[in-house]
Amino acid sequence: MKRLISAQGRLAAACAAAATLLAATAMPIPAQDAPTGSPKSYVEAVPDTTVKLAMIAVPGGVITIKRTGKNAVSQAVTIKPFWIEQTELTWDAFDPYAFPLAASGPAPKAGADAVSRPSRPYIPADLGWGHKGFPVINVTYHTGQQYCAWLSAKTGKKYRLPTEAEWEWAARAGVKGSPKTTTAQLQKVAWYAANSKGQTQPAGRKAPNAWGIHDMLGNAGEWCTGLDGKPVLCGGTYDDPAARILFGTRAWQTPDWNATDPQIPKSKWWLADGSFAGFRVLREP
Amino acid sequence: MSAPNDAPAGNGVTRRHFLRSSAAAAVSAALLSTGNYAFAQGSDRIRVGLIGCGGRGTGAAGDCANSAPNIEIWAMGDVFEDRLNGSREHLKGLGDKLKVTDERCFTGIDAYKHVLAQDIQLVILATPPGFRPVHFQAAIEAGKHVFMEKPVATDAPGIRAVLAAGDLATQKGLAVVAGTQRRHQNGYVATMRRIHDGAIGDLVGAQVYWNGGGVGNGTGEFTENDATLEWQIRHWYYLTWLCGDHIVEQHVHNIDVANWAFGAHPVSAMGVGGRAQRTAPVYGQIFDHFAIDFEYPNGVRVMSMCRHWDNTPSNVSERVVGTRGVSDCSSNIWGATPWRYQGQGNNPYVTEHTDLVNSIRAGKPLNEARAVAESTLSAIMGRMAAYTGQVVTWDEALNSKESLMPAVDDLKRVLGVPPVAVPGKTQLT
Repeated sequence: MKRLISAQGRLAAACAAAATLLAATAMPIPAQDAPTGSPKSYVEAVPDTTVKLAMIAVPGGVITIKRTGKNAVSQAVTIKPFWIEQTELTWDAFDPYAFPLAASGPAPKAGADAVSRPSRPYIPADLGWGHKGFPVINVTYHTGQQYCAWLSAKTGKKYRLPTEAEWEWAARAGVKGSPKTTTAQLQKVAWYAANSKGQTQPAGRKAPNAWGIHDMLGNAGEWCTGLDGKPVLCGGTYDDPAARILFGTRAWQTPDWNATDPQIPKSKWWLADGSFAGFRVLREP
Repeated sequence: MSAPNDAPAGNGVTRRHFLRSSAAAAVSAALLSTGNYAFAQGSDRIRVGLIGCGGRGTGAAGDCANSAPNIEIWAMGDVFEDRLNGSREHLKGLGDKLKVTDERCFTGIDAYKHVLAQDIQLVILATPPGFRPVHFQAAIEAGKHVFMEKPVATDAPGIRAVLAAGDLATQKGLAVVAGTQRRHQNGYVATMRRIHDGAIGDLVGAQVYWNGGGVGNGTGEFTENDATLEWQIRHWYYLTWLCGDHIVEQHVHNIDVANWAFGAHPVSAMGVGGRAQRTAPVYGQIFDHFAIDFEYPNGVRVMSMCRHWDNTPSNVSERVVGTRGVSDCSSNIWGATPWRYQGQGNNPYVTEHTDLVNSIRAGKPLNEARAVAESTLSAIMGRMAAYTGQVVTWDEALNSKESLMPAVDDLKRVLGVPPVAVPGKTQLT
């Protein structure tokens, strides 16, 4: 509750400061649902690795996912409490899974520890944008799933990708409807076309939402399991205009996302043209 | 509730990102638009043979078939039957552009000869690079147009063979395009044109990089007795005779951009290299890092760095420095006359085939053999400098008698893995 108030306070102060310039479009901050009755947040230290994941407790509730147009949907979903990663998954947390250092010998065979590992990316997967602290990008939904399988095997806990309903519930952190956002408010919380300099930025640098979760909007888009059970990328990206930096923004993979993978068969792990595609993990109680 | 938006994410232009997301869509649109095939005639069908049916060969066959109208994949060859069958299965996605029959599938060491004996006009050479000189020579002698993947040799005798065959191609009016696809990427072409027009003044230096994470993993237990010819070809990346080492196999792309920018090849090389992460025997003999100081004409120096190190930041790029500015060669110029490429993106892996086919149909065959041979030798010269620890000149590299190629005969023969080079001890011959 404390964090909620202080985060809100900071955001409100920032908004007030910006208000003189960006007057009228600002809306009052909606009332929040406090994350009561949820378990405690914690840090997952993955055994035998340097991986540490900050996991935020999220309460249960009910959310209605509504879309019109080609992918129209209107569905009320009951959300059970869960934990979600505080930031998008970073290379620091991914490398020990994908590329265990092989200096002393070959990498473990697939299945040696009950998981499969990615093939080598054809492109430099971080695109030279930065590695340490930067979100994983250019990955498929399958890669996200397999990472979660590895994490579950390592920790004995139930890690997986979020559903789109869980993702949006955590992204909203109690915000209802479609509140109008000023540029100043957006700049505070998200990396998107206007401030990202054309690339993803280190995870967790922008202000968190009311539940303490960073970068749900913008930066790397995040793979989730859609209402239809199929992969969907949520929340907009570093490359999207402000109009797409919304809780309801979704993108569905097209062949363009891997057009310049010069190999056939194309990788099922990597997206040569998916610089905007990452993920964060969720844990079930 | 937020308004939905079904547009795919990420179709902006980003630095060092070459209009990635929109590229494919743009290419598809461009290929379907009129005017792109000014030279295409209804009757000028091109039949294509594929030699080397790995992931890239299969990809190149698909790119070629989709690059222009009236192209058929006609024959296939690979040393290994399993590779050929897998490739053929994947190429079924081409529909009626795939005209390969059982009778036109060839396996074994001589498969390339049988493919070249078919009624094809164009051949794709996509085996491991060590075989390229022999295949390229045979293709030109057989009178075929050629698309060949980079690099085009792993040693100096191979380079000399490619240069000679390239000259023969010119005499015969045959087209040759290489897989140095940056030369067919819109952003690079437009930026390089400005650099050559003096947009950054006189060129005084450059830095080129391929810092990435390696290719494929070593597999399982390994002893010297496992190192049969077959094992080596299947694990070709870790043998210098097959791959050239990664400075030649991958970093050639960036060195090629430097040669393109300067309109010249380096005159000498000095450098360092070794094995820091990939030390196990299963990783054969190649290094996992190189840093080379290339000297170009007029005392210009180019710093080249490449590495295959996991869990480190990547950098695959070029940076050319002039007296009036700096360019990334791909889309940006900074300095006295700042500029950014804002044009259409393209998928260069397709465009390289479109350019090849258009040049054949126009009767104005492109011939990139010399350029890619020089870029490959530039990289080989860098490797020689790092392996030996000595300064290696262009003439020494070009005239080197050292042939890395073993007799390619019995696939079950145990070749053993050549020793890892030791600077100061390894000699250039």
